[in-house]
This record gives sequence, C-alpha cells and structure tokens, in this order.
Amino acid sequence: MPEPASDALVDGVIDVLKNVSRRPIEPALDSDLVADLGFDSLQVLEVIAELEDRFDISIPLNDVPSTRTVAQVVEQVAALVSERSNAR
Amino acid sequence: MKIARTLHDALAQAARADAGYWFVAPSNADNAGSHVYRSYADLRERSLRVASALRGAGVRTGDLVALVLPDAEQFLTALFGASFAGATPASLYPPVTVADVPRYVELTGSILRAAAARAVVTTPALATEFESARSSCPDLMFVLSFDALDAPPLHDVPPCSLDAIAFVQFTSGSTSAPKGVALSHRNVAANVDAINGPAGLGTGADDVAVSWLPLNHDMGFVGMALGPLYSTRPGVLLTPQAFVKRPVEWLRAITRYRGTISFAPNFAYDLCVRRVKDRDLDGLDLSSWRIAGCGAEPIHGPTLAAFAEKFAPVGFHSSSFLPCYGLAEHVLAATLPRRGRPTRTNVVSADALTSQRIAVPANGCDRAMTLVACGTALPDHQLRIVDNDGRDVADRHVGEIVLAGPSVMLGYYRQPALTADAIRDGWLHTGDLGYVDGGELFVCGRSKDVIIANGRKYHPQDLEWAVDDLAGARRGRSVAFAVSEAGRPDRVVVVVESSGTSASEALTTAVRRRVGDLFGLYVDEVAIVPSGTVARTTSGKVQRALTRERYQQLVESGFSCD
Repeated sequence: MPEPASDALVDGVIDVLKNVSRRPIEPALDSDLVADLGFDSLQVLEVIAELEDRFDISIPLNDVPSTRTVAQVVEQVAALVSERSNAR
Repeated sequence: MKIARTLHDALAQAARADAGYWFVAPSNADNAGSHVYRSYADLRERSLRVASALRGAGVRTGDLVALVLPDAEQFLTALFGASFAGATPASLYPPVTVADVPRYVELTGSILRAAAARAVVTTPALATEFESARSSCPDLMFVLSFDALDAPPLHDVPPCSLDAIAFVQFTSGSTSAPKGVALSHRNVAANVDAINGPAGLGTGADDVAVSWLPLNHDMGFVGMALGPLYSTRPGVLLTPQAFVKRPVEWLRAITRYRGTISFAPNFAYDLCVRRVKDRDLDGLDLSSWRIAGCGAEPIHGPTLAAFAEKFAPVGFHSSSFLPCYGLAEHVLAATLPRRGRPTRTNVVSADALTSQRIAVPANGCDRAMTLVACGTALPDHQLRIVDNDGRDVADRHVGEIVLAGPSVMLGYYRQPALTADAIRDGWLHTGDLGYVDGGELFVCGRSKDVIIANGRKYHPQDLEWAVDDLAGARRGRSVAFAVSEAGRPDRVVVVVESSGTSASEALTTAVRRRVGDLFGLYVDEVAIVPSGTVARTTSGKVQRALTRERYQQLVESGFSCD
C-alpha cells in the first residue's frame, strides 16, 4: 500500500521539474509532462537523473513511458523512497 | 587514396586485427552496468550465423531486410548478417517511447510497404506488433525476432560488388514517399577512408573511438561504428539513453578507455556544459581526446567555447574541436577542417545574411551572428555554392551547397523522382545554405523545410501525418514547420485546421502528446485555426512555406496561439 506523498516530496519533485525546464513553468499535480510542461524525451531523462540524485533512488527506465502527469511522478518517487527506507 | 573495399572485406580485414567493439551499459536501476567486448572476429562469426539463419528463414539475395533494433550489438550483427546473406540491410528508427506503438508501427509500415521490404528483424516485443503491419505490406514475408536468428555460420557468402547497395538508411517515414538513402559499398569506403585519412582525422595505431550516438543515424553508424572498424581500431559504444540521462557517462567512457576520437551534435556539448556537475569533474581526464567532432546540426560557437572552458581543467584541449558538415546522402562527412587548430569563426551581420544573402562582417549597429567554419571538401570530392539557377556564386555569397564525388549516394531507395530531384548532373543538391570564405564552408541555414532537433532531422510530412487522424482535426489540413533563429534551437510549430468538433485546448494537448509519443519532440506552438486557413495547392496539397509566412504575419500582428 503506497503511503500518501508528503508535502516535502511533492515540493521536491516540482522543484526538480522547474530546474530542468528551460522556460518558466508552474507544475500542478495534474499537469501533463509533455503537453502542459513541454518536456521532450531528452528532458524526461534529465528529470529522472535529477530525481534519482535528489531522493537517492534508482528509477527503472521501463516504468517511464507510462508516466504522464506530475502526480504519477510523485507517486512513483514516493514508492521508491519508501522501498528504500524499508530496505534499510 | 585507399583501395575501395566492401563491408565484407572491411570486416574480414578488421577480424584479423586485435580490435573490436566495447558495448558499455552504465549501472542504473535496470542493471549493474556492463562492459562487453566483442572482437571484430567475433562480430564476423556471429554475423555469419545470423546470415545463415536469415537464409534458412527464406530471405533471398536482393531482399530488403529492415532492421528495427535499438541495441547496438544486435543492430551491427544483424546488419552484417543481412549483408552476408546477400540481402540489402535497411536501418529504421526504433520507437522513441512505447506510449504509442500502434501509431509507430503504422508509420513504419508505410516505409516497409514503399520499400517493398521482405523481412523485418526486430526485438521480440516489437515483432508481435509488426505482425499487425503485415496485412498492409504485401511484400513483407518475415517478421523475425533477432533473438531467434542463430544457425551454423554461412559458408557460401554470395559475391558482393563494390557498386551494389551496402545499406539503406531511412531518414523519413512520410506516408507518400519515404526517403531511404541507398549507399554503395564504394560510397561508404570513399567517405570512411577520407574521414580516417591524413587530410581528415589522421587515424592511427593509438586511436580509440568513443560514442553514444544511435546507430540508425549516419554519424553514429558510419562515423563511430564503421569508422573504427574500417581503420581496425577499437570502438567504444554507449547507449544514447545513458548519455542523455547522465551526460558525464560519455566523458567517463573517454577517460576510462583513453578515447581519442568522439563526434556528437552541438546539443551534446551543450548538455555537458549545463548538466555535468562540478563534483563530477573529479576523476575525469579528457587529455587523450584529440578529435572532438561536432556536426549533424547547426554549430553554435558559444557552446563550443563554454565546453572548452568548463573542461579545460580536466585536460580538454579546445584545438580538439573539429566542426564539420555532412549529411546521410553523402554517406556522412562532406567537409572537414584541418585538425588541431583553433575553431575559426565569422561574425557577420544577420540582416545582410538574410535579406541580401551576403556574409558581411558585422559592425557595431548590426545584429551579429557568429558562424563556425566547417572546413573544405574531402580529397577527391567537390563542393560548390550555387544560386537558384544553378550558377556558382562569389565568395561570401549565400547559396545552396552542392556536392560531387564518390560519396554521393546511389539515390533514394525505389524513389526515382526524388533521386532525380536531389542529384542533378552528378551534383547532390543538399538543400542546405552556406557560403565559402577563405576556402572554407560556413553553413548558415537550409532551404528544405526540415526541422532539426537534438541532432536529428525531422520531416514536416511525418509530423503532419502523425496528427492527421486526431479528433477535431481536419484531415490533410495540418502543417508543421520550424521557426529557426541562429544560435537557438528550432521552434517547432504545428498548424491544425479545426473541424469544430473538439475544444481547441483538447486538440492542442492531443497534438503535443502525439508528436511527443512518436518523435520525442515538444511542439513549441500549436495553432488551431479555422477551416480554410491552411494554404493548399489546386491539387489539394498543403503549402508549407505559404502557411509559415501567414503564420509569421499573424504572430507579428499580435495573434496569440498556445
């Protein structure tokens, strides 16, 4: 059962998205990465690398294509973070 | 000049040397990282096994075998395998994402149909998808999974002529006329040997090539895979995803393997400047890197300067930069500068360049543009700059770049009309604009309406086709184009005529999503326009140039679109 994401985690994800974007964006949970926020396939990989560094997780590339919205990114990061802390 | 040889001869020669490819996968969540070595002898042996399996499956001499393989080792093995089997290998782009595979298969199916492909070799997952394309591709007899291609090595390799097609590289999937660049063995040898030769890279016994470029791209396949093979030197190949995710992996590979030759488009150098963190500089040593090639898209002087500055402390020499110009229709390279010298630039007036088509030095009050010199034509090749009537223009006057010599492609595969348009009296019309100054080529634009992003050329027809069936869009009334400005990435614009059945906002989102899914591109501006806005010819074809003009007038007059 995934735990609800903390505000800090949501803020962290949004911060990464803003840093990676080359234009000013205001991501909301229901924003679509491509259609609303303007990330191309290269920038999506950049987002992944930045999320991995910030949250100390490894994001499997296989899961990436199904990720569309900020909420889905948050959910995936939250699951990986809790997996990591459970493993410790 | 070296004696021309076929792909088969080049691989046989390389197989006798103590060299091969390193296939590098950095560690990530999916695996622990690996460095797999395959000697050229091993690659040849495996390719002969694939050749035998292809024959066994029913592939015959002269068949077009389409390769849709993202994995570098599989791609190279299948390409040589198909060639040894007497077939014509063709490389196609694998899907960018798995978000819209059915539409991808439909697009790729149109290429397979026009090319009369007899077989497609792909991954097990995509093989299942390609089965569905068979009904619309009457010539497609075999959908083969690479993993299943194994049989005792082929012994009776059919003879191979220097003037036969070595491979076909598809650059476009537009439904009406897919462009597959057909290159002969002679073409390939002429270009690769000129690149490696004394006037080019001067490739020698200590060279090691390192690359992350995709192999369905001319610079990745010809430059960074065939380049080392033809000179019997090692080639280290990373995946494009590994590089884009963490650009420092490219520089780490150069450090680890003492890489000497590595080519990449401008955007890759930019990614390194922006994304390699200061703490990642520790442990890098780029002092071995003597040729840092840059091409495949417009070269931005300030990007190269920023890269040189950032990486000088870890041994990068700015004189290693080799800005060059080329295109798939000319195998790979068309011009190369003298190696080991500082990058030469022209600072010209942007206004004079666009309005009078002359490169005049910028004075204080002009908008200035910095253009990078890309060198001279390869030995035994010719370059001219011509006006619209095909007449040579004077130095510093802008015209179309045309090329002649042994690297000019045989033609577009099964597209005689397109070929006749591209090659006139032996001269390849590149569609790119440039001028010559001090004997060197400066590239300053393109006359063909291609869109360039991240080192790859996208054909507007493909984007238009991709959005054509979206709900709320009028069929055959979409236009895609790039708005280019020097020193900045192209802005991608898609104009869609609305049928009035969907909200503009929903259609805008759908356009962005479709183009993102199929091409990995972000559409900077989607203009949803009323019926009748898109200019068309009397025969009903969209007029891209006129639509772009109208669009730009609208934007200047303050019309806002998303």
